[in-house]
Amino acid sequence: MDFQFEVNFAHLHLLLNHVPVIGTIIALCLFLISFFGKNDDLRRSSLIIFAGVALLTIPTFLSGFGARVNLTGQPGVSDALMERHEGSALLSFWFMEITGALAIAGLWQFHRYSRPSRGNVIAVLLFSLITVGLMARCGNTGGDIRHPEVWVNKQAPLQEGPIGSLVRVFEPTPRKFINAMVLTKWETAFLMDLHFIGLALIVGTVGAFNLRILGFAKQLPVAPLHKFMPWALAGLGINVTTGMMVLIGMPAYYAFDAAVWLKLAALTLLGLNAVVFYLTGVFSGVEQVKAGEEASMSAKLTAGASLCLWFAVILLGRYIQKLDGTIK
Amino acid sequence: MEVPKFLETLEESGLSVWIRETESLFGFYFFLFLHNIGLALVVGTILFIGLRLLGVAPDLPFAPLKKFFKILWTGLWISVASGTFLLIAYPTKALTNPLFYVKLMLVATGVWITRKIERSVFADEGTSEEARLALGKTLAARSLVVWIAAVSAGRLLAYTFRYLVYGRQG
Repeated sequence: MDFQFEVNFAHLHLLLNHVPVIGTIIALCLFLISFFGKNDDLRRSSLIIFAGVALLTIPTFLSGFGARVNLTGQPGVSDALMERHEGSALLSFWFMEITGALAIAGLWQFHRYSRPSRGNVIAVLLFSLITVGLMARCGNTGGDIRHPEVWVNKQAPLQEGPIGSLVRVFEPTPRKFINAMVLTKWETAFLMDLHFIGLALIVGTVGAFNLRILGFAKQLPVAPLHKFMPWALAGLGINVTTGMMVLIGMPAYYAFDAAVWLKLAALTLLGLNAVVFYLTGVFSGVEQVKAGEEASMSAKLTAGASLCLWFAVILLGRYIQKLDGTIK
Repeated sequence: MEVPKFLETLEESGLSVWIRETESLFGFYFFLFLHNIGLALVVGTILFIGLRLLGVAPDLPFAPLKKFFKILWTGLWISVASGTFLLIAYPTKALTNPLFYVKLMLVATGVWITRKIERSVFADEGTSEEARLALGKTLAARSLVVWIAAVSAGRLLAYTFRYLVYGRQG
């Protein structure tokens, strides 16, 4: 393509990378306090933060790949330190996403059964505890790359303490991991196939819900349509997993592609749109809309925004190949 | 088997070359995008209606769902139109791949079952809930299997072709 954007990935990574590290700590604190105070609002807030942080961890992760490619070979930047950080990121990323998925499941249970199940609460607690630890290490190993002033052992910054050496056993070596993720043609084909089925699940369920709010098939009451949301969330889970698996196999290809970043931006806006929809009273209003009734203007605006943004996500996904190399 | 010559002639036509080679954003990837939107409308809608028939959201009334078939058929036409352009761009790639014919057959079967659902389950506004479920449950399950198979076959076309263009093995 004849247009190119310049992105300073190191800067973008610095901007984003505090979100998963600090965000998980804040959410975990709220989650723990909610036990003692038996405070449901606090617990819901913590789950919302976990979900939001899980979403923002995706661009954080990808900006790190971009920064790594740009910094490789520069004087004063140790490849071994970057590799250790990357290994740490590869591990903590998946724990963050699982925590986010569990948090969303908990939020759904709050909505349907007025409280999350015991199993969900235990799972969130367990996974978020691990995630906080792994993210702290991820932040630490990342900080080590450019901050010799914080090295404990000035001669051998790679030396690990007792906990570090234990965690390191579980961290993949990036080269090996990425090579394992450089999928064969058939594995990629299979993941891409699942990605399309996930897409159809999201479009079918979210699309029908949004169209009804906008006034299509008005004889449908709104509340039952919302019962399809777990299917949409299943589609989202499939697509985040398959999308990220393919992306990790070729990080340098995807990180320097404008379509990928715009797609992530659209997904982030969808997250924001969901926050507006569920947390500002729009949803509780629209839930009461019976057959034949008109939804409020604010509901229509968020429904329209959701439709447009999902349309953009599909459009941008389809242009990834075309816009390859549009970022330097 | 020898690859028929007319495929090369078609590939050398102005339209085919343009779709394949243009730098414009409205070339090959645009048709691919439209094809994808068509898929989303068809398969998304049938998943939605199919899940309802299979027991999700039992308090959702059936009759108004009929309107969604309009979206589904619009999606089908978008797919057919954009698919034609994709075929013009890479006729050898598609027509020398047996999976392409499997996909067309799966789509045809999917369309047939979907029509059956529309004509039986949604024929009459007054049909009772139980009658609709009795008519539609098996059809819904079948249609989901067939449509997912059709998506998979289509998706796999990008990985299974023997020739990318005439005379060039892929």
